[in-house]
Amino acid sequence: MSMMEYLAYAAFGLYLFLIVAGGLAAVLSKNLIRSLVGLIMTLFGVAGMYFLMSAPFIALMQILIYVGAVSVLIFFAIMLTRAPGGESGIEGSTPKALKRGLLALATALMPAVILGAIIIRKTPETLPLKPETALTVLGEFLTGPFALSFELISVVLFVAMAGAVLLGFERRKSE
Amino acid sequence: MSPLVWYHLTALLLLSFGLFGLTSRKTLVGMLISVELMLNGAGLALVASTRLTAALDAVGQLGALLVMGLAAAEATLVLAIILVVFKRLGTTDSEAVSFLRG
Repeated sequence: MSMMEYLAYAAFGLYLFLIVAGGLAAVLSKNLIRSLVGLIMTLFGVAGMYFLMSAPFIALMQILIYVGAVSVLIFFAIMLTRAPGGESGIEGSTPKALKRGLLALATALMPAVILGAIIIRKTPETLPLKPETALTVLGEFLTGPFALSFELISVVLFVAMAGAVLLGFERRKSE
Repeated sequence: MSPLVWYHLTALLLLSFGLFGLTSRKTLVGMLISVELMLNGAGLALVASTRLTAALDAVGQLGALLVMGLAAAEATLVLAIILVVFKRLGTTDSEAVSFLRG
């Protein structure tokens, strides 16, 4: 292996560490703020993997949309749902916590084992990395063959925003 | 193992984390965080399987972009739903919100 390949594997390991550590914090932490910070760490790890595959546009979009917008939304959701008297964003524990954890572990492990075996056996050979796709090619593709999905995603986004506003107004009217 | 297998196993790991969180979390916000983890895994698998094979590159990258757009729309709507549930019930515990239970 050449020097560059070693460096690529080292970078992959670093991003994998970010994803695993962040993901564990995101699903296990009792404090929802910590779990949000774990999610952000995971998002940065995935963005690093996009960079490693030389897809910088998607990596920057990942940081812009997820880290910039979605995590702020989740932060607002945590802030605005403070129970009276309680602290914001803490999950209480129930007596059935152990049973719940075991069932969740089974739910996560079943697809992981089955799909993992399929991935290891059936994944086609990796080709050497293609040259980076120009942004103009992506843009032409988005307005050409992907035009319908481009329009539909804008409709979906509009409906979601309008629905959110509507739900907010409905809340005020019922008081 | 080839790099493509590693990328796909990472995506599978994200899916498993998300499923675990979705079933073990008790608050709606925690479940939303888990769903975002799963969607990230989907995007990673899409981009990896078009960047590292002979498939058309733009399909995977734009597919991942559409997944991000859907995730943003979903997060907005879930935020609004969480606020309404909190206003009406005073809690976002998923076990308290079970009127439709048989």
